[in-house]
Amino acid sequence: MSELPDPIRSGLARGWRVHGGPHAALPQQVSCDVVVVGSGAGAGITAELLTQAGLDVVMIEEGPLKSSSDFRQRESDAYPALYQESAARKTADKAITILQGRCVGGSTTVNWTSSFRTPPPTLAYWQQHFALKDYDADALAPWFLQAERRLHISDWLAAPNENNELLRRGAARLGIAAAAIKRNVKSCWNLGSCGMGCPTNAKQSMLVTTIPAALDAGARLLVQTRAQRFELLNGKVTGLLCHPVRQDGRPEAAVPTRIVAKHYVVSGGAINSPALLMRSELPDPYARLGSRTFLHPVVISAALFDQRVEAWAGAPQTLYSDHFLGVTAIDGPIGYKLEAPPLHPVIVASTLAGFGPTQAAQLREFPHMHGLLALMRDGFHALSPGGNVRLRADGSPQLDYPLNEFVMDGARRAFASMAEIQFSAGARRVQPVHEMAPMTSSWAEARRVIAGLDVRPHLTRVVSAHVMGGCGMAGSESLGVVRPDGVHWQVENLSVHDGSLFPTSIGANPQLSVYGVTNKLATGLAKRLTGRDVRLA
Amino acid sequence: MMQHCAPMRRRTFFGFGLGIGGAILLGLGGVSIATWRPGVVGGRLSPSGRSVFESVGRAVLDGSLPAESSSRDAAVRALLTRLDVTISAFPWPVQEEISQLLALLSTTAGRLGLARLRHDWPEAKIGEVQAALQDMRTSALSLRQQAYHALRDLTNAAFYADPTTWAQIGYPGPNPI
Repeated sequence: MSELPDPIRSGLARGWRVHGGPHAALPQQVSCDVVVVGSGAGAGITAELLTQAGLDVVMIEEGPLKSSSDFRQRESDAYPALYQESAARKTADKAITILQGRCVGGSTTVNWTSSFRTPPPTLAYWQQHFALKDYDADALAPWFLQAERRLHISDWLAAPNENNELLRRGAARLGIAAAAIKRNVKSCWNLGSCGMGCPTNAKQSMLVTTIPAALDAGARLLVQTRAQRFELLNGKVTGLLCHPVRQDGRPEAAVPTRIVAKHYVVSGGAINSPALLMRSELPDPYARLGSRTFLHPVVISAALFDQRVEAWAGAPQTLYSDHFLGVTAIDGPIGYKLEAPPLHPVIVASTLAGFGPTQAAQLREFPHMHGLLALMRDGFHALSPGGNVRLRADGSPQLDYPLNEFVMDGARRAFASMAEIQFSAGARRVQPVHEMAPMTSSWAEARRVIAGLDVRPHLTRVVSAHVMGGCGMAGSESLGVVRPDGVHWQVENLSVHDGSLFPTSIGANPQLSVYGVTNKLATGLAKRLTGRDVRLA
Repeated sequence: MMQHCAPMRRRTFFGFGLGIGGAILLGLGGVSIATWRPGVVGGRLSPSGRSVFESVGRAVLDGSLPAESSSRDAAVRALLTRLDVTISAFPWPVQEEISQLLALLSTTAGRLGLARLRHDWPEAKIGEVQAALQDMRTSALSLRQQAYHALRDLTNAAFYADPTTWAQIGYPGPNPI
């Protein structure tokens, strides 16, 4: 266990009001000014700003409260404790594996710190197609700037690890630009364990920034507690029913907790937020709820180099290339962003293709393995409508995201782009992560293999770490679930503040988009509820 | 409770409705409810579930398990224990799907229809299980591919979660803090 100071355990010792799980018992009745469902990017920003305005805030989190003392840099600890469905959440046909947080801090506790402002072409598309006239880069700049200051989002000045450097080197030899990724870290130890929870509290996640600020200001936090359904009367929410849940998601046989608030903010992430609204049977006159859910579907290329890469070591994802987002129009064939993900044994062994002696031989070369991933920018074309959230019989959500030919055409092009970059960087072998793809030993061979690959789902390994949409924001009632100020079009005391707002995918790792947009929305909400001006930084 | 109701379980077969799975079962004359045994009980592998995963584990991890037979047997027992831990951490609907998959594979009709494996799991040779896995992996039927990924990915995730497996792949483990 880390001997470093643990701000969460210190806060608990100071008397933070945390209920549920191993903490104080859940009360049966709670009243407050605002309840925030979730504790991830949107929830954390919202809770800090609303408490700053003097509001009595209650946060509800389905996962546990874990902190640096618990973060042992082991996948076997982290995935079951900190991720939705043990980091193996699947789409309905099991063709896409989704990494999404399920703990206090949400995905910000386990993400890889990549921080990008929402790209201007994405905002322009929103303005044109979703009537979001105030969402342009200049208007949003102050909101992003505050979030960047609050969360220490800044240039990463240390040398990139070899895993990232190979992306830069290979791209440069092909005349393809790669650039540095800003990170939300302070005094980072450059360990590479971000995905298992930061053991040194360097990552400026919601867990160590906004949530402690809100709790210090008197907010309450209910953990291991699921927001089950809203009660609705005459177009207003009158209460929220919550259940304590076990690790396997089943409700404990305890009496539900009923929370009554003046305003309700849903920030449970882009699968769970629409699911809560669906369970509550909220009005949805234009059938938008749960639809247009985007994933940035990801395909991966694995390479072997003569030198050691040690892709587990050092800050992950410090370099990227947007070259292949720019070679086609945003509403043309699907474009993709390239990054170099961290590799650790469980995620590598369960994500690469194959089994038996072939797999054993490949994994023995793990220290020499390089990974590239391509994040496909979905949601900008009629043939890229994303997925739909639906409810299982027990009310738990499931995302149906069919991978059609339009998306998988992007997968084929991305495999080729990544293989060419890896060979250009000096790779000895490259293998697209696909059940039929052999190890290739030259770019010419890889190009031929990839051109002939059957890139159907299941044969092609597709993953995602970015879930967006499902409660889309729009300037016209028929185009969205919520208004441009985040308030539900039909339910006046309900807002959505998380990645489910986005009417398309972002085209970049979305955390800073969530921070910036919810900063704007929560600042406005605080003003409307209290008349007070608040500021994130 | 639904988890104790075999007919109900068959209706929600493997979480995908009766489409392809049902077609396989009907083509084989159906599966007797009397032979339907859940693969996961109380968050742990049942004896029949263990039997499937013991065989799958030896096939998937062929080349990674210790060469010496008593060490290999001990590694497989440890794998099964870690699979219990892995499975028990999943949400209830996912545990149910895994349970149903293992239950189907434990029936003769399901083993033949889904895995195309002639001999029962404990008797099948590693090469036969590997051929069955490869056939599922490259099948045109989504359900067979899904079954392959579930068996193979769970096995690998549980195996490489164990620090004792890291030396053979050159992974140093957590950084000192």
